[in-house]
Amino acid sequence: MLASRLLRRLAGLVATLFAASFVIFAAVYAAPGDPAVFLAGGRDKLTPERLAQVRSQYHLDEPLVVQYGRWLWDCVHFDLGRSFKYSDQVADLITSRFPTTLQLVVYATVLFVVLGVGAGILAAVKRSTWIDSAVVGGTTLAASVPSFVAAIALVSLFGVQLGWFPVTGSGEGFTGTLHHLTLPALSLALGALAIISRVTRQAMADAAASDHVEAARASGVPERDIIRRHILRNALGPIITMCGLVMAGMLAGTVVVETAFGISGIGSLLVGAINTHDFPVAQAVLLLMVTGYIVVTTLVDVVHPLLDPRVKEARA
Amino acid sequence: MTTTRTISRPLVAGLTAATLLTAAGCSGADTAATGGEPADAAKLKLSATTMAAKGQLDKANWLLEDEPDSLDLDTQGTSAGRVVLTNVCERLYQLQPDMTTKPFLAEKAATPDDKTLVLTVRDGVTFHDGSKLTADDVLWSLKRHADPDMEQADEFGNVKSMKKTGDREITIRFKAPDALFTKALAGDAGIVWNKEQVTAAGKDFGTPGQGDACSGPYALKGWKSGDSITIERYGKYWGDKPLTRQVVFRWASDSALVNALKTGAADGTYAESPNTASALRSTKGLDQHYGPSTASLVLIPTARGGLKDPRIRQALSLALDRSGIAKSGYGGLVQPWATPVGSGAWGYEKAEFAAAQEKLEGSAPATPSADDLAKAKDLVKDAGAPSDPIVIGTDSSQGRTVVANAVRSALQRVGLKGQIKTVPTAQFEEFYSDPAARADIDVLVGDWYISKADPMGFYDNGLSDSANNWVGFKDATYDKKVRQALSTLDDAKRAELAIDVQKRFVDAGVWIPVAQVPSALVISDKLTGPPASQAYLYYPWAAGLGAKKG
Repeated sequence: MLASRLLRRLAGLVATLFAASFVIFAAVYAAPGDPAVFLAGGRDKLTPERLAQVRSQYHLDEPLVVQYGRWLWDCVHFDLGRSFKYSDQVADLITSRFPTTLQLVVYATVLFVVLGVGAGILAAVKRSTWIDSAVVGGTTLAASVPSFVAAIALVSLFGVQLGWFPVTGSGEGFTGTLHHLTLPALSLALGALAIISRVTRQAMADAAASDHVEAARASGVPERDIIRRHILRNALGPIITMCGLVMAGMLAGTVVVETAFGISGIGSLLVGAINTHDFPVAQAVLLLMVTGYIVVTTLVDVVHPLLDPRVKEARA
Repeated sequence: MTTTRTISRPLVAGLTAATLLTAAGCSGADTAATGGEPADAAKLKLSATTMAAKGQLDKANWLLEDEPDSLDLDTQGTSAGRVVLTNVCERLYQLQPDMTTKPFLAEKAATPDDKTLVLTVRDGVTFHDGSKLTADDVLWSLKRHADPDMEQADEFGNVKSMKKTGDREITIRFKAPDALFTKALAGDAGIVWNKEQVTAAGKDFGTPGQGDACSGPYALKGWKSGDSITIERYGKYWGDKPLTRQVVFRWASDSALVNALKTGAADGTYAESPNTASALRSTKGLDQHYGPSTASLVLIPTARGGLKDPRIRQALSLALDRSGIAKSGYGGLVQPWATPVGSGAWGYEKAEFAAAQEKLEGSAPATPSADDLAKAKDLVKDAGAPSDPIVIGTDSSQGRTVVANAVRSALQRVGLKGQIKTVPTAQFEEFYSDPAARADIDVLVGDWYISKADPMGFYDNGLSDSANNWVGFKDATYDKKVRQALSTLDDAKRAELAIDVQKRFVDAGVWIPVAQVPSALVISDKLTGPPASQAYLYYPWAAGLGAKKG
């Protein structure tokens, strides 16, 4: 039962990846600009002969489907190829940069979960008071600031003027990394705060309106326990789902923040790859992002029924 | 035999962030122009060197505008890679901060006749793995550079044979005398690799985790892909010992780069984009030095529309407000200029070249006078004004946008219509290579630099069969004189010829000069020593870096 479900999941995952990889390949291929121009070297090298030679060397003169087939064949043999831009292996490029992006996303997730869920609970508990309004207003404001604007503002205030945080790089060691990634993570997390706090607030309001909460309250269970055991527990489903989705989205959304803070992560690798038509790198990074998204959302799906027995029963 | 190299870095770096951040007009470049007070372009003082350093320094943090693609300059040569590797790898000749060249790993060079160059390999030099540098390494390296698949192959177009003719002697024979060959040996074509190490690394040579295979004052200590590159003083270096023990390179673009320098997270950078330097002007704790470079801003006309007529091109050149471009597009950190190559190209006969440049200012004024405009209008009247608007090709980077607008208003001043066509940066580079891509434009807002300090490295672009001669300029005398200059080994005679072809090139408006772009060194005010000129790409600049106070 469980095995067949997992198998179905896995098959779905592979099919999705396959479809995504083709769409990505075609999209990168269709982007304006000629990769051979970047591959040929200096401008004085841009003679038609040299460009033709470069195209054939990198198989760029073959039809899209053939190129895709070639890539796929290597890929199932665990070979992501060599970067056009860097002579390095694509796998090496990604392994050296992925941890930074992952740390950034995890840090941002911790921030938006703690602050967002906290603010949502606060707003739900103090519903219709000034605290509620302040939370809703504050988070709306935070969400309306795009992350690159937040990044620039945070850098100029806490980095350049006050000098509390470093403005570039990803740092070394645990405290160093924490120190370096605080501002980038904060700018990433700001936008998510409003969504998460709003979802938390609403989910808790819904849970609070259910009959068994009324019953518990009538039988004299202390309010604190009611909130923790009955309301929050029942509200967790939508909250976790939303946190998962937002986190998954962040895996693909670190590009801007990485550039603003001079962090060499997956995002900046992708931008460079797209600008220079570095097909193997762009393809691999985008696929990694898609995979990350699928994995995180699948995990949320798996965790959800464990938290809420009702979901498990409904599925069974 | 072409010798030009792109400055793709400043542009592409600017672009990456521009594409990302421009959406809201917040790119670093934009804030840059308004950051510091604009410099007065006319008074910009260019000096090749900085004050000599006196004190030791344990570690310097240096910024690049991008991560190097590779540390094998034969397969992938970029500025970022050169800035690092020039401290690690040595060349047969060496470009000096004043842009002259001298024999270097080739201790002596003799020319028994015009078509023969005999190099004596320096004795007592060791590679960073401790092995001795031999004539075999030199010959092997030269042959690797000359391989048609390698970046420097075009420098060897005139070479007939390269042979080891003694224990420490390499003899190179040419099909025709080649005045630029020894200058190429001061560039990437002259790097001497450790044959054994390069061969052992194979395809991975130059990628993170590999050794350096060189003999310079610094050895490559490590390259953490995506993070940093570290070089360290080489204990057994044959020459003077550098004052700075370790240099750590990191990279950032636009505003991130500016902020890192502002907050002291980095000690210095060679700013490839004038706007970066401009944003850091009068920042506390930072010094700026400007030096000669071969880079320039130019307009490259095509044979498509109104600019096909040389008279219209001359009129445009006369009416262009170069000072305005320098001030509003580049914070005053470029200089109105009347030739298509910067003064860093004057590796010999400097005074002659300077005088010739000044003479040409009549046809390319910094600010057009009433006389210039009248003359320009006459030229347009003579030629007959084209009916179609002149299409100006550009991308959306700040500097180019300003130049494009200046071209349009210059055209207006002489009664012509201009129209700006902006394309994404990824596409912009194609204008240079693909005649089909530029089929819709009449003039390209371009930039250019040459890797060798010799104006003759540029003027082959005006040859009637050159791929970069887009207007179809044909002049048998010009072609003859260029070829003659390229095979004239005597500097004084070559300078005379160069000045002649330069005048013909500018008069014909094959390209229209706009400004020269000096190189800019931004450095902590506690440090000094590295050159300010473009030599930083080919000269071990970090070897001179140190504390101001001993």
